[in-house]
Amino acid sequence: MKERVLVAMSGGVDSSVAAAMLVEQGYDVVGATMKLFCHDDDLPDRPCCSLDSVNDARRVCQQLGVPHYVLNLESAFGSDVVENFVNEYAAGRTPIPCVRCNTFTKFRDLLHKADAIDARWIATGHYARVVDAALYRGRDHAKDQSYFLWGIDRRVLSRMLLPVGAQTKVETRAVAHRLGLEVIAEKTESQDICFVPDGDHTKIIRQKLGADTPSLSRGDFVLSDGTVVAQHDGYARFTIGQRRGLPGGFRVPMFVVAIRPHDRAVVIGPREELLGRGVVAREMNWLVDPMSVGATVEVQVRHRSSPARAEIVRIDGGEIELALDEPVSAIAPGQSLVLYDGEKVLGGGLIERAAGGRAPLPVRAA
Amino acid sequence: MPDPIYLDHAATTPVREEVLEAMMPYFGPRFGNPSSMHRWGRDARTALDEARERVAGCIGASADEIVFTSGGTEADNIGVLGAWRARRGEARHAVVTTPIEHKAVLAAVHQAGREGATERFVTMLPTGVVDRASFDASVDADTSIVSVMWVNNEIGTIQPVAELAAHAKSVGALFHTDAVQAFGKIGIDVRQVPFDLLTMSGHKIGAPKGIGAAFLRRGTAIEPLFHGGSQDRGRRPGTENVAMVVGFARAAELAVAEREEEWDRLERMRIRLETAILERVPDAVIHGRGAPARAPHVISVSVPGTDSESMLMALDLRGIGCSAGSACQSGSITPSHVLTAIGVAPDLANAAIRMSIGCLTTDACIDRVAEVFPALVAKARGQATAALS
Repeated sequence: MKERVLVAMSGGVDSSVAAAMLVEQGYDVVGATMKLFCHDDDLPDRPCCSLDSVNDARRVCQQLGVPHYVLNLESAFGSDVVENFVNEYAAGRTPIPCVRCNTFTKFRDLLHKADAIDARWIATGHYARVVDAALYRGRDHAKDQSYFLWGIDRRVLSRMLLPVGAQTKVETRAVAHRLGLEVIAEKTESQDICFVPDGDHTKIIRQKLGADTPSLSRGDFVLSDGTVVAQHDGYARFTIGQRRGLPGGFRVPMFVVAIRPHDRAVVIGPREELLGRGVVAREMNWLVDPMSVGATVEVQVRHRSSPARAEIVRIDGGEIELALDEPVSAIAPGQSLVLYDGEKVLGGGLIERAAGGRAPLPVRAA
Repeated sequence: MPDPIYLDHAATTPVREEVLEAMMPYFGPRFGNPSSMHRWGRDARTALDEARERVAGCIGASADEIVFTSGGTEADNIGVLGAWRARRGEARHAVVTTPIEHKAVLAAVHQAGREGATERFVTMLPTGVVDRASFDASVDADTSIVSVMWVNNEIGTIQPVAELAAHAKSVGALFHTDAVQAFGKIGIDVRQVPFDLLTMSGHKIGAPKGIGAAFLRRGTAIEPLFHGGSQDRGRRPGTENVAMVVGFARAAELAVAEREEEWDRLERMRIRLETAILERVPDAVIHGRGAPARAPHVISVSVPGTDSESMLMALDLRGIGCSAGSACQSGSITPSHVLTAIGVAPDLANAAIRMSIGCLTTDACIDRVAEVFPALVAKARGQATAALS
């Protein structure tokens, strides 16, 4: 008997092709589009958000001759992802909602639906690969999405299929054309967060926390020495490493180097102040057998950055501290710290802060 | 896979052979416009008039008291909004309804609210029946119109509409009932019950989608929703849908003629299915089970520890078609406002499955569902532990 797979389908090209490839490979495919949010809570009776995407996914499934369902995961997504998103900004951090969506919505809640329909597998259109229950970067490094998948329960890996992860985006589009999925073959992809369609994340913060939230209230731009240099309109508009929207008039380019919710200050400084020699992360999740202090790994502190070599210097429950061989710029609390061994994802955590790196050698008394 | 089993008759039903046959000439040779003076027009007019008489006959009304509509939603809008607008000049400001109405009524009431009405919602008892004390307190001399559905589409509970209508009349309010799920199941006689307005729909009784009717008691004024020609005394402008009207009349007659026998057949099957489910899943909750009167065709069941979506998918993949709460346009499920209104806890409301039996249901269907449903429940419940094993 064919093995059943529940495919999370957004209506975009990657997940559509993933579903089509699995049909070709002989799986019993069931398509599901998750309804995760409504843009306008004031009008509950209005047509749902992203109706077109749902319709695209439905049409693809019709074409593939497989059932398609729309699953309402709005309430769980609201608390697991959206609420966390605004709270993180309010705490002066820069969250990645996609990570939590993968961890909680796709590879936990959706997996539960897969169980109820006896699906052995769950599939998505992510550019990453699972081989022998281990997670690897997508073959197309320009598209690699493994950075966003560190949080999933390791045991889920043995049930995941990521069919497009072994090919390039160009190849994915070619497959779409070959299989006649013209509806979606040339859809452009959105770089936006799905519930922040216009790229302005302050709207949802205002909506959830109120217009007078401190995170969107006036505060000071300060230098590391405490000098107040100007005012800003809310620290939630800033992220570590940001240059845009900063006061001018300095001899060197200035960057956001810290965000201090307690006094609403955005600390700015020259490039050097962005450099971190170490990093502390919490909610550490291993996708391999947990490693120990002293182990050497490669790390990424944001999606599109080159891996940096580092050594694990401390593990404390869910908290981990690494010392970087070379300083890394713009380590932003709230972003993900992902540990790699070449192509293989070892695990990851939520960046808590930059740290001092290797403890200096104790100074011997003369 | 064995033949699929359709358990969603409260959503819609297939068009009956007799109905299709009755309609066919009006798509072909008898295609005329009833407003035309020539022979083609006269022929269509005759068919329309006869159909109107036959529908009227099904509920004890006069032909001029029947307005054909595009379906239940339009008839509900006429019944609530059309009636409210026609009475706007009077010193009556309240529109009274229940929180378990179909969205067509609820949305029409909200619209009346935007147009100046005071919206009042009657409290429901946990049995799924109107709290009579709350009803009596809500319906007063300031009440313009009252709308209470006869048979609830999600849980099948029957409201005591005759008593409620009598109370509404006693204070001078108009009474509308959405009888979409009652029509063809419960005997309707507007000579016995003082309804002012009543909604019927075709596709729940073997007529096509897109046809329905409103009963409008003689002397009850409504403001038309549409503006156009003088068809149907100006109450419903637009060239009449003759073929569908004829089909609706045929379906209505058949449903009324077969009503008592079909009630018994459906009720027997419903009880058999409920009994089987409760035997095999003892903690299953059947909503509205404590109501003094229930329709024979609707079972709303929640199994603790499951969720509607998973169950509906699993059932569908096994060839069994059921539904849950209200489906939104994307097709996703939102928690049922009906279950919430009768005090069902959110977890249980999110687990509700509606099975509605009807013309396609046989004992063999019931047996198979009785066997498959508990197996799927076990699977859905096992998920928390099975997920990661």
